[in-house]
Amino acid sequence: MNCQEFQETLPHIIESGGNAEDEAHLRSCPACAILVQDLRYIADQAKLLLPMHDPSPRVWSNIERSLRSEGLIREGRMSLMGQLTSTPQMTFPSQSRNWTPLGWAITLAAVIVSAVMLVNYHPVSPVSQETLPSPAVSSWEGADEQLMGQVAQQPPAVRSAYEDSLKKVNTYIADARRAVDDDPSDQAAQQHLMDAYDQKAMLYEMGTVRSLQ
Amino acid sequence: MNLPCKAAAVSALAILGASLALAADAHKQTFNIAPSGTMSVINNAGSVVLRPASGRQASVSYTTFSDKVEADCSSTRDGRRVEVRTHALAGQKPTPEESRVDYEIAVPSGVSVNISTSTASITIENLSGDFSLSSDTGQITVNGVTNSFVHVHSLTAPVTLSNLSGVHAEIMSTGGNVQMNSVTGPKVNVSTTGGDISYKGDFSGGGIYTLITHDGTISVSLPETASVDLSARSISGSVENDFPLRDKPHTTFSPIQGRSFAGTSHTGSSSVELQSFSGRIRVKMQ
Repeated sequence: MNCQEFQETLPHIIESGGNAEDEAHLRSCPACAILVQDLRYIADQAKLLLPMHDPSPRVWSNIERSLRSEGLIREGRMSLMGQLTSTPQMTFPSQSRNWTPLGWAITLAAVIVSAVMLVNYHPVSPVSQETLPSPAVSSWEGADEQLMGQVAQQPPAVRSAYEDSLKKVNTYIADARRAVDDDPSDQAAQQHLMDAYDQKAMLYEMGTVRSLQ
Repeated sequence: MNLPCKAAAVSALAILGASLALAADAHKQTFNIAPSGTMSVINNAGSVVLRPASGRQASVSYTTFSDKVEADCSSTRDGRRVEVRTHALAGQKPTPEESRVDYEIAVPSGVSVNISTSTASITIENLSGDFSLSSDTGQITVNGVTNSFVHVHSLTAPVTLSNLSGVHAEIMSTGGNVQMNSVTGPKVNVSTTGGDISYKGDFSGGGIYTLITHDGTISVSLPETASVDLSARSISGSVENDFPLRDKPHTTFSPIQGRSFAGTSHTGSSSVELQSFSGRIRVKMQ
């Protein structure tokens, strides 16, 4: 068995330990042995994140209640199954979701972005925004720097695209936030704010994926 | 040999050397892929073109332009997962030009495909399945796709969708323009921050269409036969309408001249919602 043949059976080896032939190759090939060791470590660490995969229904309820009380979602907008559930007339090919380390990293990034969104969203502010620095901007700064650090190795044109996109999205968030502050009952402004945050989440997700590649 | 001749000879050698260094190297691999299998393609620079395969096999043809990068193509034994990935060889730091790999991939319909690129363009033609496409700056083109899920993320990459029917499309771009020509389906969501959105078609299929932008322009051109329940609203931008609509008796907002309107044409079978923060919205008849 050569390295390529061995690596084709990696998923089987990680799951069940492999057969005698695999074991023999592992003993004779330090490179494959290190690879398997690393993969087992990643798989073990990923298992530690499993509680994030399926939090209790109470967590979802709390998040939904918070978003609803902030006026960010309306009845019927949110679903644990996502937007696909709102189009029952179509049947899409099923997707198998294998949670890879990359998947976990993206999930983690999305969770962090969502947390910052929830912490920083204040639809009604009794104090004029002009007298205080925007909490959202100051909280995002560190995360934005981290994102730019992640794409620092990319070609200049790509780095520039991330930089410009960040500026545009931050402006979008600031504009939408101001509109919501001006009229908290304005559903269009709320939708723009949600959309701006979605754009920001997309940027973080893309930057994370690019850095891992 | 005189000086001009020497210079010419040196230049020729240099060009030959550069050509050899970037010599194209073509490869092809085939894989059995399960009907509900998944293919992932990661290619930073160059291009990825996806076309339908005739049988149940997927084929991956690719051309590299440098010996500093290679393409890894692998599949699981059960054919449920195929991975195609471009990567630099250990110790090599290829330039953007040397990083280029051009892929021509054929997959059977129904397969789920994820493609991620940085500057490489992505093209999908005449397929159905589940497509998740992401590119920082590379042009994304989807043409002739039916009964599919199309999910696109772009930073500044322009996105062109044409002749799509029965699709659930989720398109998000920060700065890239999104151009749609005859795109219909039960759900079409397009969102940009600064990119312009243009739609040409009849919004058929009784679907829900939402186009939203911060400061980009939304241009919609539809035929007189379009059956839509249309609303357009901008918070601080302008809204113009040349398309004949019947006023709606009930709207969720009070229309303001030049900022918003809502109306119905024919039976209003599809819902069309256009929203901008400060960008211009223009609706006109084809």
